[in-house]
Amino acid sequence: MNADEWLRAFAAELHQRRVAVDAARHVVAEAATHLREGGGDPWLVFGPPPSYAAAIVESIGTTPGPRPGPVRLHARGITKRYGRRTVLRDASLTVRAGQIAAVVGANGCGKSTFLRICAGLVSPDAGEVSVSGRLGYCPQQGGTADFLLPDEHFVLVGAGQGVARGPARRAGRAAARHLGWDAEGDVLARHLSGGTRQKLNLTMSTLAEPDVLLLDEPYQGFDQGSYVNLWDQLIRLRDEGRAIVVVTHLLNQLDRVDVVLDLTTAQPGGRS
Amino acid sequence: MNRLVTVAEMTLRELARRRGVLLLLLLMPLVFWLIRRDSHVGQSIRALLLGISWAVSTAALFATSAAREIEPRLRLAGYRPHHLYLGRMLGLWVLGLAVSVPFFLLTVFDTTNLRYAGIAVAMLCCVAVAAPFGMLIGALLPRELEGTLLLLTVVAMQMLLDPASSGAKLTPFWSSREIGTWAVDHTDDGYLTRGLLHGLVVTVLLTVTVAGVFAVRLRRRRHLHHVPLT
Repeated sequence: MNADEWLRAFAAELHQRRVAVDAARHVVAEAATHLREGGGDPWLVFGPPPSYAAAIVESIGTTPGPRPGPVRLHARGITKRYGRRTVLRDASLTVRAGQIAAVVGANGCGKSTFLRICAGLVSPDAGEVSVSGRLGYCPQQGGTADFLLPDEHFVLVGAGQGVARGPARRAGRAAARHLGWDAEGDVLARHLSGGTRQKLNLTMSTLAEPDVLLLDEPYQGFDQGSYVNLWDQLIRLRDEGRAIVVVTHLLNQLDRVDVVLDLTTAQPGGRS
Repeated sequence: MNRLVTVAEMTLRELARRRGVLLLLLLMPLVFWLIRRDSHVGQSIRALLLGISWAVSTAALFATSAAREIEPRLRLAGYRPHHLYLGRMLGLWVLGLAVSVPFFLLTVFDTTNLRYAGIAVAMLCCVAVAAPFGMLIGALLPRELEGTLLLLTVVAMQMLLDPASSGAKLTPFWSSREIGTWAVDHTDDGYLTRGLLHGLVVTVLLTVTVAGVFAVRLRRRRHLHHVPLT
């Protein structure tokens, strides 16, 4: 493990221990500076990332869990059939402002369908969804236009909200920077790598400042650093009072979410 | 209005960057025209008009298919269905006009004794009908191959049917053929009137049908209730 990998693992440990985003960033930057100026193997200088992160938590503490606000998304009794096959049976989920919910389950258990029903893109056979505030949706794939530049995507989404071109571009670039991506280049979406394209996809969904953000496996193609940045961004949005629903199959992230809906067992209601 | 213009602009930007597509858009009518150039002048003009219709319809079909994935999220981002289909149609009309201009000049420099205004109107009819026609096929058939085959069938039918038959009047591009006859053969004004009326009716009918399909596809679902922010 080289210094960069150690720093990434360290940052992930800090996030998992709920160290405030800005404080974690500051500590990681200090560690990086120390390593750059002093040299040496981070394992010898600081020790294993989990141990050093635990020591930092002892020293600076963690952020208190955000107090959930009013209900932003309430899906109840969602049932969906494709032909004779029932993919969702009486699934329910309640997410409040300042919460992250994870929708988990095996392949084909209806995670994406559930999210599309919550977004109002697919009709269920039974059940209702109530949404309070503006809705943002990041599809698993295909939410971008091959022959447009990232800036043009921002302008297109911004125009939907009546945002002028300049501010839309600036907002898009700023949101992209939170994911560790500089979106200012003249590269068509089709020439972006899979991970960068997914960052564009994600940036578009947060651009309209939604109150409820629905993300369908938003990390596909991400490297470790981008993955950490994504959770940074999600936690920041949660702390700003957004309600976030993430479809995920990466179970190791579940300790960083507030609500879990496991569709494998098709149990009604979310587990808090 | 800004939303509509933005969608039109992005449609044009996307198509303008597909240089291969642009080349083929120009090549298709040119080949049609060249093949018929040695025969009666009317044949070459009619083939040219059909080539323009086919080229613009195909561009509309592919633009609609390509936008299928991004449209639902644009709907969530604040666009209404009419912003999306009218904006795209507007962009395709502008593209169609840009494609038609060099061919109009070609007829002006290559052929004498034509009613050039009639040729221009026939081309306008081609473009006006082709954009909603290609969009409708793209909206109804999600896969491009099926859409292309249907388009091919309609254009082949248009080419093979006797224009005087009643069945020909049911084909989408009959108007340009009628106006083309008026412009090339100096027939009576009935040809122009019938052609204009047919072009107008078909364009309106196709646009209304496209509006209906988009309104259904991008409708607000009944199960989703928006409650006020608290």
